[in-house]
Amino acid sequence: MSNLAMKSEEEMLEQFIERIEAGDKIEADDWMPEEYRIALIKLISMHGISEIMGALPEKEWVPKAPTLHRKLAIMAKVQDEMGHGQLLLRVAEDLLKPYGKTRSDIMQDLFNGDLKFHNVFHMDTKSWGDAGLIGWLVDGAAIITQTNMLGSSYGPYARALQRICAEEVFHAQHGEAIIMALAEGTEEQRTMVQEAINHWWESLLMFFGPASKETTGSSKQDITIKYKIRKKTNEQLRQDFFTKYIPRILSLGLKLPDPTMHYDEEKQMWIYQQPDWSEFKKIIKNQGPRSQARLNLRRTSYENNAWVRDALAATTN
Amino acid sequence: MAEKTFYREFEVFSKRTPSSAFQHQFSLLAPNKDMAFIMAQENFMRREPVADIWIIDREHIRSMNADEKLTLGRLDNKQYRTTKGYGYLKKKWRHYEQQMLDEKEILSWGGNSK
Amino acid sequence: MSSGENVLSPEYKKALENLLFQLADDDFLISFRGSEWLGLAPHIEEDVASSSISQDTMGHAAMFYTLLEDLGAGKADDLAHLREAQDRRNSVLAERVNGEGYYMETPKYDWAYAVVRNFFYTQAKKVKMDSLRQSNYKPLAETAVKVNMELYYHLLHWKTWFIQLLNSTDEAKRRMNEAIELVMKDFGDVFSYGDEKTAIEQSGLIAGEDQLKEGWKSNMALPFECVAMKVPDIPEASAKNGRNGDHTEELASALTTLSEVYRLDPAAAW
Repeated sequence: MSNLAMKSEEEMLEQFIERIEAGDKIEADDWMPEEYRIALIKLISMHGISEIMGALPEKEWVPKAPTLHRKLAIMAKVQDEMGHGQLLLRVAEDLLKPYGKTRSDIMQDLFNGDLKFHNVFHMDTKSWGDAGLIGWLVDGAAIITQTNMLGSSYGPYARALQRICAEEVFHAQHGEAIIMALAEGTEEQRTMVQEAINHWWESLLMFFGPASKETTGSSKQDITIKYKIRKKTNEQLRQDFFTKYIPRILSLGLKLPDPTMHYDEEKQMWIYQQPDWSEFKKIIKNQGPRSQARLNLRRTSYENNAWVRDALAATTN
Repeated sequence: MAEKTFYREFEVFSKRTPSSAFQHQFSLLAPNKDMAFIMAQENFMRREPVADIWIIDREHIRSMNADEKLTLGRLDNKQYRTTKGYGYLKKKWRHYEQQMLDEKEILSWGGNSK
Repeated sequence: MSSGENVLSPEYKKALENLLFQLADDDFLISFRGSEWLGLAPHIEEDVASSSISQDTMGHAAMFYTLLEDLGAGKADDLAHLREAQDRRNSVLAERVNGEGYYMETPKYDWAYAVVRNFFYTQAKKVKMDSLRQSNYKPLAETAVKVNMELYYHLLHWKTWFIQLLNSTDEAKRRMNEAIELVMKDFGDVFSYGDEKTAIEQSGLIAGEDQLKEGWKSNMALPFECVAMKVPDIPEASAKNGRNGDHTEELASALTTLSEVYRLDPAAAW
């Protein structure tokens, strides 16, 4: 008889907390408190499915990318997003095992609205400038949130993030290259970038989530920090993003859509106009501009291809 | 497992060069090992050289549970097994005006085989 | 005949350019169709894997367009994006849509068609590259050696899908057989050199149409044996021969999409 089985839940929890406090990594087969498992499943399946849904707005510009080089690069970039979805869903799927759930359940949860995807991927794209801006600033924001979890107490997530962040370096430069070419280009091209910034600004602010649960009624940040899944709060991450990217935006001669925005030396933080958080709540409830269209596209392609999965489910070798 | 599913789990290993050791990459879902095989390289090794790939059905892996991991514990009192326990020879050989044959020296005898 | 550094005779150069446009446009259009699939494959891992093939293939197109650029035919990006449908030399097979619906809306793409088209096309390309490695135009022979390196994976990938689906459920078999029929209908101009047949076949650039067809058929024998089927006959090139610039509406709409941004300002840096 296993001696672990004889330990009380409390002792197990105590040992678990000791392990993560000591910087030990938790693995898929290790004992973990239900609260930890559920927090991880929510976080990682949402992260994973957001990559899969995030491929859709960008893929709109894959066949349209202006040159051979841009076509190849954005194809590779969107492929990476699907690849990140693959890595993350694998991590989530292993966590879901005790509940007997698989990838098809994750897809169903997405389709019936139980599994949310990131607010930015509900937005429409209007021009090639948007494709560049997603690569530059949306990926920039994603890099900030993802590197914040590289030291995650959950080993498989940390390892997936390690791979993802390594590829994000390419994504960041890919985005910068598109934006740089446009910013240094013709009047029309410069307008394209400025319009893209204006269009994405609110979404970028919302990207990091509300500063506290008072803003929107719920926030997962407290529990993920408690279990050492992440380090910084939503607001700290948003501030980091401003610090890294505002000077770069301005250096290209682009304008911030928020004229009140400035750095307060005394408070040591960026002061900015809050986005409309009620809009945020609507968007993540799949009521954003392109939420239903993208869900519909994902559902249609999934169901339309069901025969392929059925066909090969029958083979064993 | 009697239930038919498209989603079987495979672990992917690869080597960078013909002479390097296999390294675990990640896991993927595929209906069978031939399919897993044609997906492995592009899923996990798009930007690095690959000299060989192994695909392993997860069901064939005998892994350890938490109890079994307790069997891995070991005291740090086994210097007699390692060169650490024989470091004093360096001083001794110096006395005889000879150099110590340490790991670096001995492994260099094979020439520059990488 | 002459090689790269010598002066090319006008007839030879014309044949060479025509052949290069066929090779470049084929790879460009089929990889464009592949790029529309991105994010929509039946399985996430497969999405990632097949996107690499589309990228490789577009990379090959870029190499062929660059050979044309080197011959003074124009900038590679202009050749890829600005030429009208009637100037395109790709096979009709390469331009066909992936299935019902426009990619910006809610398309219903056909995976059986993707598997069959890509497998048959890749095998045809492999036969051509094997022949081009002996081409008397050195830069093309060198390119063929490079392209060939990536075709091993492409072939293995599509062949695996082809054999597995045709050995699975009745529904899969039905869909695959329908796809084979659809693909073979358009297969007539794949090995055709169009009106340039005589010039290309006499140029020493590449083997003749019939020899390539035989090569394709003999390479297809084994995979078809694995699924207990006979290799279909390659039809004669139909009146609508892509090699002569005869194309479908499907090409026109593909060109509109793929050049939408570039055409905003072809002189600008993108």
